[in-house]
Amino acid sequence: MGLFSVIGMQQAWLLTIVPIFGFLIVALFGKRIPRQGDWIIAAVGIFCLFASISIIADFQSFFHGHGFEPNGANVLSFEWINIPNYLLIEYSTFVDSITIVMLFVVSLVGLMVVIYSIGYMQGEVRYHWYFSLLAFFLAAMFTLVTTGNLLQLYLAWEAVGLGSYLLIGFYWEKQSAAEAAKKAFITTRIGDVGLLIGILLLWRASGTFDIQTIIGLAEASYFDSTYLTISMIFLFFGAVGKSAQFPLHVWLPDAMEGPTPVSALIHAATMVVAGVYLVSRMLPIYELIPVAQNLILIIGLITALLAATMGLVSQDIKRVLAYSTVSQLGYMFVALGVGSLSAAMFHLFTHAFFKALLFLGSGSVIHATHKQEISSLGALKNKMPITFLTFTIGALSLAGIPPLAGFWSKDEILLYTGEFGSVFYGLLLFAALLTAIYSTRLVIMIFFGKPKDSEAYEHAHESPKIMNIPLIILAIFATVSGFFIFPFVGQLFGFDDGFMGIVYLYHPHVFHLEFTTMITAISISLLGVLLGYFYWFYEDGRRANNASKWAPEIYNLFLNKYYIDNFYQAFINKFVLGLASIIAWFDDKIVNRSGIDGSAQILNYVGYRLKFLQTGKIPNYVLMMSVGILLFSFILLINY
Amino acid sequence: MNEIDGMLLVSLFLIPLLSAVFLMLVPSRERSFIIGFTGLSSFVMFIFSLYIFLSYDFSSTDQFQGIFAIPWVSDIGIIGLNGIQLKVGIDGIAAAMILLTGIVILAGTIVSWKITYRIKDFFILLYILVAGVFGTFAMLDLFFWFLLYETALLPMYLLIGVWGSTRKEYGAMKLMMMLVAGSILIFSAIFMIFTEAQLGSFDLELLATVDYNRNFQILVFPLIAIGCGTLGAMFPFHAWSPDGHASAPTAVSMLHAGVLMKLGAFGIIRLGFQLLPEGAAYWGPGLMFLGIVAALYGAVSALKQTDLKLMTGFSSISHMGYVFLGLGTYTVIGISGAVLQMFAHGVMTALFFLLIGAMYDQSHNRDIPNFSGLATKMPVWSIFFVIAGLASLGLPGLSGFVAELHIFIGVFQAYPIIGGLAVLTAAITATYLLRMFSTMFFGPVSSKWDKLNDMTYLERVSATILALSILFLGLWPSPWIDRIADSIQIGIPGALM
Repeated sequence: MGLFSVIGMQQAWLLTIVPIFGFLIVALFGKRIPRQGDWIIAAVGIFCLFASISIIADFQSFFHGHGFEPNGANVLSFEWINIPNYLLIEYSTFVDSITIVMLFVVSLVGLMVVIYSIGYMQGEVRYHWYFSLLAFFLAAMFTLVTTGNLLQLYLAWEAVGLGSYLLIGFYWEKQSAAEAAKKAFITTRIGDVGLLIGILLLWRASGTFDIQTIIGLAEASYFDSTYLTISMIFLFFGAVGKSAQFPLHVWLPDAMEGPTPVSALIHAATMVVAGVYLVSRMLPIYELIPVAQNLILIIGLITALLAATMGLVSQDIKRVLAYSTVSQLGYMFVALGVGSLSAAMFHLFTHAFFKALLFLGSGSVIHATHKQEISSLGALKNKMPITFLTFTIGALSLAGIPPLAGFWSKDEILLYTGEFGSVFYGLLLFAALLTAIYSTRLVIMIFFGKPKDSEAYEHAHESPKIMNIPLIILAIFATVSGFFIFPFVGQLFGFDDGFMGIVYLYHPHVFHLEFTTMITAISISLLGVLLGYFYWFYEDGRRANNASKWAPEIYNLFLNKYYIDNFYQAFINKFVLGLASIIAWFDDKIVNRSGIDGSAQILNYVGYRLKFLQTGKIPNYVLMMSVGILLFSFILLINY
Repeated sequence: MNEIDGMLLVSLFLIPLLSAVFLMLVPSRERSFIIGFTGLSSFVMFIFSLYIFLSYDFSSTDQFQGIFAIPWVSDIGIIGLNGIQLKVGIDGIAAAMILLTGIVILAGTIVSWKITYRIKDFFILLYILVAGVFGTFAMLDLFFWFLLYETALLPMYLLIGVWGSTRKEYGAMKLMMMLVAGSILIFSAIFMIFTEAQLGSFDLELLATVDYNRNFQILVFPLIAIGCGTLGAMFPFHAWSPDGHASAPTAVSMLHAGVLMKLGAFGIIRLGFQLLPEGAAYWGPGLMFLGIVAALYGAVSALKQTDLKLMTGFSSISHMGYVFLGLGTYTVIGISGAVLQMFAHGVMTALFFLLIGAMYDQSHNRDIPNFSGLATKMPVWSIFFVIAGLASLGLPGLSGFVAELHIFIGVFQAYPIIGGLAVLTAAITATYLLRMFSTMFFGPVSSKWDKLNDMTYLERVSATILALSILFLGLWPSPWIDRIADSIQIGIPGALM
């Protein structure tokens, strides 16, 4: 491990600084650098992967033999703001087992996406701007996962949101991309209101932003329990926004307007799991407050089901994948809701690879055909063999077919949910069935059957190597990353245990095969695949079309996304802008015209009236004077 | 660190004043000379203000540094021994405000060089105004404080009335009438304090030692709060602000929104908090209430505005609402946040007006729905605008967040629900700004604006100065916070929570 010992946990800040420099150099001077500086960002990506692995190795040797303490290590901190006796905010980095999982995911998927983008974005306008934004995003994402305090987390949280905003809006000449970017930023911003309120409430009671200190205080029952519950629910609201959970899930499908590699990186593997990461970080506190934890469970379950049904009917490859992402994130929240940190993180880990693979695969299809409506694709199996093969691996992994990665992690979640309650277990199984169906549908509609758009079909070709190699690497990870659950695989890499023994909350989960659950899960997945095969494989999916006519109300409900988007639009148009109109009217009519101009006009009017007293005629003045004298004499007389 | 030399503070407001006098002697046809001279002069002001800010010693326990006094009037009638003096001295708050003024005047001068109509007279008035601003921040004698405060306001009338646009006479008149009405309240308050103290002196330091009757403080504080609040666009005395900004020329908008509005909030701290601590504590919740109302009111109104300058005007009301919110907490963190917000809003809003001016000069149009795809047409301009906008919506890492964070923390200590509303306001801010971004910058490139050019070299220089200030304060706020928080702890002993 000599090569990897240069960068240790102490140097985790390098993961922020190096990409930031990459961003600055390419953003400012990219146009003048050969190849517009894409190689600089690729070098940054390689560095980040190298550094992440070194940090993991350092972490490994540091905790070797101690077991992987969930406490981790606060490895660096310096004062950022200090008002002595009043306020101390530090910049700190913190590495624990959750961090190392995130580091590996972010750096590997990040590098794959950067390499893939070199092929995918070839010849695009603003090429250097795209790559500099990728580096900016990576810097923010690494900061987010290595932070030791909540305020810094908020900083990184907003920064990844900014990166996402700019990348969704990358094709800003397209009105729909501009709208989608706006929608994504504002929707997540609404969640962020909750996050910041939660952070400030926790500060108010504890006087610190340090996550581990707050957890320690909560475990020592320092907080009032109602107060803590409210704060943590606010905090969770931030996670709901970022991880696109119901009811703030509406932005993620629209975010597919961004370039496809961005969808793979930001909207599948990294940024959208920030909410899961946050709740995982704070899980020791959520464990103490059942109300909040049940809320997480229910939100996760609703999302997993709703999104799966929407994914079933969506007509756009990327949107199907987006709904799938929302649904799988729901799974992770369910796992957190039932208290299994390791299952949630494991699903996060495997999902990152197979979902990034699926997105990059769909990008390969879009690159080749310039179509992303599944109704205009089809029969690409022979034209794009590598894409087909890797995409299928990803889809089967998503569907939960063993021995692919998705199976193992979904199985863990089902296992712990089953221990928690059978209703949740049943509903989650139903979502798994839907997942398998739409995964199969996607593969069949894109790669099998007859070509539906002959021009797109003729045009199609296999993507260049620079795009295929990341696909192959990710396909390998989508296949094998599930094996990390076995202790011996963990030990192979020098850890003490398998995944469940590395990432845990109180005591490591011993992995054992639970056959009932496993068989059920496999059957459900196979059933889903078969149903998908049955409905879509024959006669160009006419059976599926017939099925959709069987209950058009339900089909339309799915297709119109349960009218949630329409409801929000109406709410904004009617209520928010209505309120704004009322206030604008108030400001114009009451404050300005009546208050300010009105008082000026009154003065004007009074002056106008009074000026008639100034007649210029002596008799008038004498008259007034005499009246005055009489009046005063009268008053004096009475008083006398 | 050495103590600041008092002469430096005196020269700080003498430079613009003498520059203005000197400009009067220059023939107005010497355009390039005027440009060169104002460039030099504003650069010197910037360097002086930066030097003053940096050399302010925040480890010292003195409330004011660089004190320097010239006796003016003494021992006549009711005026006692140290009656009226030209007395200067600054604390950390004033140091931050002086730096702000230095930055904004440098940027404002650079963008004003393209003025073609009576450029000499423009700069004369502008520099008189700046002399007033610098003077108000540095002055420790209430008589001169008020004199210079008014000096800062009055040139505004001519600057808007002559060089402005869209309903400029109306805007200028409305602004001047409302601000003068506010000044009357401040003037009354100053004389009430002078009489009550019975020291025969206008010396602020002396007056601050007097323990005023509580009822007196409760009576007089609102006069100062409303009088100064009018200049700070405090709800419901904000009506001059959107119209005034909409009609003012670029540099004047920059200086006005960037610096002059802060003079109002500064007045509340200097006169209200430091002389009448009990009154301030009593009225704190009221100030906070007006602050949160203004923050929400301005933000929601901005949602409906289509004129870019009016939108920024309402946005300013909203952001100044945060200042009053922070002041109203009457806590060290809250007031620090308010002062930080004064600085943050100053540079940010100056950048906004600079950019709007850069575009308006070419297009003569400020109606948001009229534009589309400007990011493709004017990329540099758009990037600067996005930086300012992101600072405005409180993105961490930029100036606005640091300030808002302190204000939020201060508010949360006492009133979590108001704090929650304040955080929500930041989301509304994001809404109107991003709506504007997606309409104006993004979308298809409109052929209507084919003739628009990106920013000129000079505009880029000034915008860079302001954008760097935004980034600097956002990423490394300690230099500001050290100075400001220290002064608040020493100077406002009431705010101890």
